[in-house]
Amino acid sequence: MVKEHTFAFFLGCIMPNRYPAIEKATKFVMEKLGYEILEMERATCCPAPGVFRSFNKFDWMVAGARNLCIAEQLDADILTVCNGCFGTLQEINKHLKENEEHRIQVNEKLKLLGDYEFKGIIDVRHVAEVLGYEVGPWGIEDHIVRKLNLKAAIHYGCHFLKPTRIREIESSEGPTIIEDFVEALGIESVRFKEQLTCCGAGGGVKAYSGDASMTIFGEKMKNIDEVKPDIILDICPFCHLQFETGQDYLNKNKECNYDYPVFHLSQVLAYCMGMDVDFIGLQYQMMGRDFIFGGEDVKKEEAI
Amino acid sequence: MSDVEEQQKNREFKTDDDFDTEFFKRIENRSNIMKCIQCGTCTASCESGRWTALKTRSIVRKVVLGDLSVLDDPDIWLCTTCYQCYERCPRDVKPTDVIMELRNYATKRGNISPNHRAVVGYLKNFGHAVPINDEVRKRRVELGLEELPPTAFKYKQEGDDKDLKKIEKYMFDLPPVKEEKKGEEK
Ligand code: SF4
Ligand code: SF4
Repeated sequence: MVKEHTFAFFLGCIMPNRYPAIEKATKFVMEKLGYEILEMERATCCPAPGVFRSFNKFDWMVAGARNLCIAEQLDADILTVCNGCFGTLQEINKHLKENEEHRIQVNEKLKLLGDYEFKGIIDVRHVAEVLGYEVGPWGIEDHIVRKLNLKAAIHYGCHFLKPTRIREIESSEGPTIIEDFVEALGIESVRFKEQLTCCGAGGGVKAYSGDASMTIFGEKMKNIDEVKPDIILDICPFCHLQFETGQDYLNKNKECNYDYPVFHLSQVLAYCMGMDVDFIGLQYQMMGRDFIFGGEDVKKEEAI
Repeated sequence: MSDVEEQQKNREFKTDDDFDTEFFKRIENRSNIMKCIQCGTCTASCESGRWTALKTRSIVRKVVLGDLSVLDDPDIWLCTTCYQCYERCPRDVKPTDVIMELRNYATKRGNISPNHRAVVGYLKNFGHAVPINDEVRKRRVELGLEELPPTAFKYKQEGDDKDLKKIEKYMFDLPPVKEEKKGEEK
């Protein structure tokens, strides 16, 4: 049995190395909610599903299994904040639990990398799913000290829900898990055209063809701009990076004039749970730097 | 020579050499490609193909026929792995997985873009596809986090590089840069 209310915190690459404020916020939120967060020492890139799986699927499984083993040694389920990390680790974990032949092959190669053996004793979780289904909108109310009043364009990204038969979270054609959760924070989700499409960064496309990636993203932004949200809300640092750098690119190259602040779910929640606004990290981001959260303090009735 | 004959002469035909029906057997074992009915649901759902040249249906067809030219087709690298085709294919072909496997074959042939090569280098050197920089180190400290996250790279910085050495040695070996491809892609 893995430890309860404890997570091995898988950082990945983009969060710790580009948006450390998301890391700060996630830790803050999870610890306030009573979870213990353990460091995964010597972890690496998940490795990214679009690129590394494209080059060598077997090595991708081995490198992913190595990360899984680090969490197994801590006896804790993995917590990720990134759709890419989630995609890689959840899929490899599930596959190796089910496929004995591959498990043996992967374990054989793992020996080359050190003292690792995949046992299949943990699960891989995404912070959005833990918040949405385990903490729940019903459970978060008690923890909120500020309630917002704003409209968000919610971006699910691709790998949180898909492939649905592997993730087994919710339908990918009309999900509501994030909407339901952020409603409790005072955030209204504004629907926009093609809401559930890709941001254009995945599959190695951002690195392979910046033009193609920006064409797909440009459409996304056009649809978001139509509904004029206050913020863009994501659950993945890679989508986050695309929304940040992409708006900047479109402004500079395609005569656009976007300035939407981009937040990861953890950042918004951390604000609502009372984290110092400087730690939310908007000052480090490129877009929407003048944005002010505002919102109202929630008055708590004294507990008896 | 008549016009028709002229056209025939200049037209490029695929010959038997372009096909190898055995070549994709491994994909066939995993991905139901033989069940594809060419309905085009994948192409219609494709979030990349709407704006790019990627034609998922035709890629699946080429795999079924064993048309090896698909491995040199740059379009297979335009899939964003959005999984929309995977979700909607009525024959459970899993086109996303098919394309990922094709990329594995293409990589073995040396068809890998310089940018992608660089990403592999980052993993081997830093343990991250996106390595840290000085600016972010500073921010981490301002946020009250450790300057370096406790990943393999931090240990390497502290002089303990055994993890990354092994990853460099045993993982993601790439074939050498193809001569004729050099400088072709940006
Ligand atoms: S959706 Fe499936 S069956 Fe239809 S063309 Fe695409 S791969 Fe073939
Ligand atoms: S997974 Fe790739 S091929 Fe399939 S719909 Fe998405 S971009 Fe197109």
